[in-house]
Amino acid sequence: MLIRKKSLSLAVILILLSSLLLTACSGDGKQSSNGGQEKVEISIFQFKVEIANELEAAVKEYQDKNQNVKINLETVGGGDDYGAALRAKFQSGNEPTIFNVGGPQDVEDWTHKLENLSDQPWVDLALHGVLSGVTVDGKVYGLPFNMEGYGLIYNKRIFEAAGINPSEIRDFASLEAAVKLLDDKINNGELKEQFPLLEAVFEYPAKETWVTGLHTSNMFLGQEFESSLAAFDAKTLDFKYANQLKSIIDLQADYSPNAKTKNRLNAVDYSTQVEQGLAMERVAIIQQGNWVFGGVNSINKEVAENLGLLPMPVVGVKENTIPVGIPMYWTVNKDSSDAQREVAKDFLNWLYTSDTGKEYIVNKFYFIPPFEGFDKLQPSDPLSADILKFAEAGNTTPWVFMGYPTAWGMDVLGVNIQKYFAGEFTWEQVVEDSKAKWQEMR
Amino acid sequence: MKQSKLWFTLFIAPILFAFIVVVIVPMIVGIYYSFTDWDAIRTGSWVGFDNYARVFKDKDFFNSFVFTTKFAIISVISINIIGFILALLVTQDHKISNFLRSVFFLPNLIGGLILGFIWQFIFTRGFDAVGKLMGIEFLQGWLSDTTTGFWGLVILMSWQMSGYMMVIYIAALQNIPQSLLEAADIDGANSWHKLKHITIPLVAPAFTVGVFLALSCSFKLYDQNLALTGGGPYNSTQMLALNIYNTAFRFRDFGGAQAKAVIFLLIVAAITLTQVYIGKKREVEM
Repeated sequence: MLIRKKSLSLAVILILLSSLLLTACSGDGKQSSNGGQEKVEISIFQFKVEIANELEAAVKEYQDKNQNVKINLETVGGGDDYGAALRAKFQSGNEPTIFNVGGPQDVEDWTHKLENLSDQPWVDLALHGVLSGVTVDGKVYGLPFNMEGYGLIYNKRIFEAAGINPSEIRDFASLEAAVKLLDDKINNGELKEQFPLLEAVFEYPAKETWVTGLHTSNMFLGQEFESSLAAFDAKTLDFKYANQLKSIIDLQADYSPNAKTKNRLNAVDYSTQVEQGLAMERVAIIQQGNWVFGGVNSINKEVAENLGLLPMPVVGVKENTIPVGIPMYWTVNKDSSDAQREVAKDFLNWLYTSDTGKEYIVNKFYFIPPFEGFDKLQPSDPLSADILKFAEAGNTTPWVFMGYPTAWGMDVLGVNIQKYFAGEFTWEQVVEDSKAKWQEMR
Repeated sequence: MKQSKLWFTLFIAPILFAFIVVVIVPMIVGIYYSFTDWDAIRTGSWVGFDNYARVFKDKDFFNSFVFTTKFAIISVISINIIGFILALLVTQDHKISNFLRSVFFLPNLIGGLILGFIWQFIFTRGFDAVGKLMGIEFLQGWLSDTTTGFWGLVILMSWQMSGYMMVIYIAALQNIPQSLLEAADIDGANSWHKLKHITIPLVAPAFTVGVFLALSCSFKLYDQNLALTGGGPYNSTQMLALNIYNTAFRFRDFGGAQAKAVIFLLIVAAITLTQVYIGKKREVEM
């Protein structure tokens, strides 16, 4: 009996010890295999969840062509989460070869890790302005993912039924008139038969502070600063177009289903706005970007095919315009081995300049390419097509929110807009507090 | 004697090693970081008590503290009362007692994030639909203001934690000697008397444990808070843990967040230790 007990406890101890040892080892097990040999192993740590599967397919195709290369792809979604995860990744010593940065602040934070990519072939192909966010002292540190744009997405069928011609909406006055007309028709039941679920013109997700604090505000601060770098360098904020910002926020709130109980807008989230709003034809217009196409398409193909983009007018300044920008950039880790860096650069180059790669970019990722040389491949969804139209006509405003002080957009302005809806703050307080915090955080 | 000492060391060594590596060392490193302007990429430079000074000026942190304290008080009471009542219920001899035990315990097995999202759906969609159908204004617009956000969190936590407390109280209830209760019966005590004078005093040690667990859980609540309200609207339902996380990973103020975390540790330790001390003194020895 005693012996059995002893051997049992010994076994338990052994198991405990071995599990400890094993966990301690597993951290560096991966890297030991690629030293010395020809085989090069690199890792990609990227943030775009929507393309995770397609990117994996592209990686496979690249590996088939280059037998000695092994690429490990890891995807962690969302803006904030990615930043946190990336830091954790570097802290753990498992540094990825290719990772993403967002804008001037990220470039500054990571500058000691970024490989200079100025000599890459795609640099000359870049469209005007798309590299400005990652260029420091004339050196290019990042490859732009894609172009994204947002504005007021509307449902063409509802506009048609209400007799509104979207091509006539070019400024705030015509937008407001159209919204009022649509609202009247919804209220007097004229559209009830064709769109039984339609209950309001807009849906505005104040809970998603990135929609209010980053995107809505960018439209107006994008007129104040000419690029994210200018915003990044600004010590103070004038908020020149604060009243115009108020008018577009009020417009979206006053014609939403919660017009009479605006504090409830603070509980409206992305899926209420997009999937359970626009896609179900519960509302006619939402402020979003081309990234909603996939979501809407999976719920209601007919709605998705009939989406269009209206400008977001800044009264008295630039009215017929939408913000177009680069959400993230690919970067290469300077501290990787020479072979790894070569492979990493080659892979990115292949993805954005080879014919197979381009095919993936446009038709699998549904990206709007930020480079020249994609003439034969045109975006297939109506929102991207509309954005391209705005871009070609030069009716765009830059994305400057990457240059806001860290978290200012979402956690200061976005939160203040929530307070405004809840009646805690007047608009003047929103503006004053946001300006003061900007100065404080710089 | 010598033998047992050897065994003692052998058994304690692995867990002690793990404890030192994953708790003690990070804590010491964390305290060190709270005195630097660390940005989570490179070790920052020494800034002394700057971070702590900023924490005490941070109004949001103070608001979170007040909110968390309120939440902890209410939820400790509700979790333990509900847990105790459930325990009384399922220790009655009844056919479905065992079945009910698992049912009540089940919420505890679901992860906090998932629970948060499920309840978010119930509050914002379920409540709203019922409210619209019956014309009850009260049920509409949940989680869109501080009050409903607060009660939403309390309901979620009570629902999740009560089952766990129930298990603790069941164990305590079953330890009460039958003879005492029978003696009371003979003396003519009714069930209220028995509950008040026998059951509750004898279950007191379990109350200490229950209140301790509920208190520390409520103070440290993070995932439910993140999933249910995300701190919104306007950060008014942001609890301490979430506030610390946001300071670090949103505002990228890692040093400040470390300082907050150290203060947080002291607060939680002080409150829970006081509670255990007081609770222990009130316990009845059999």
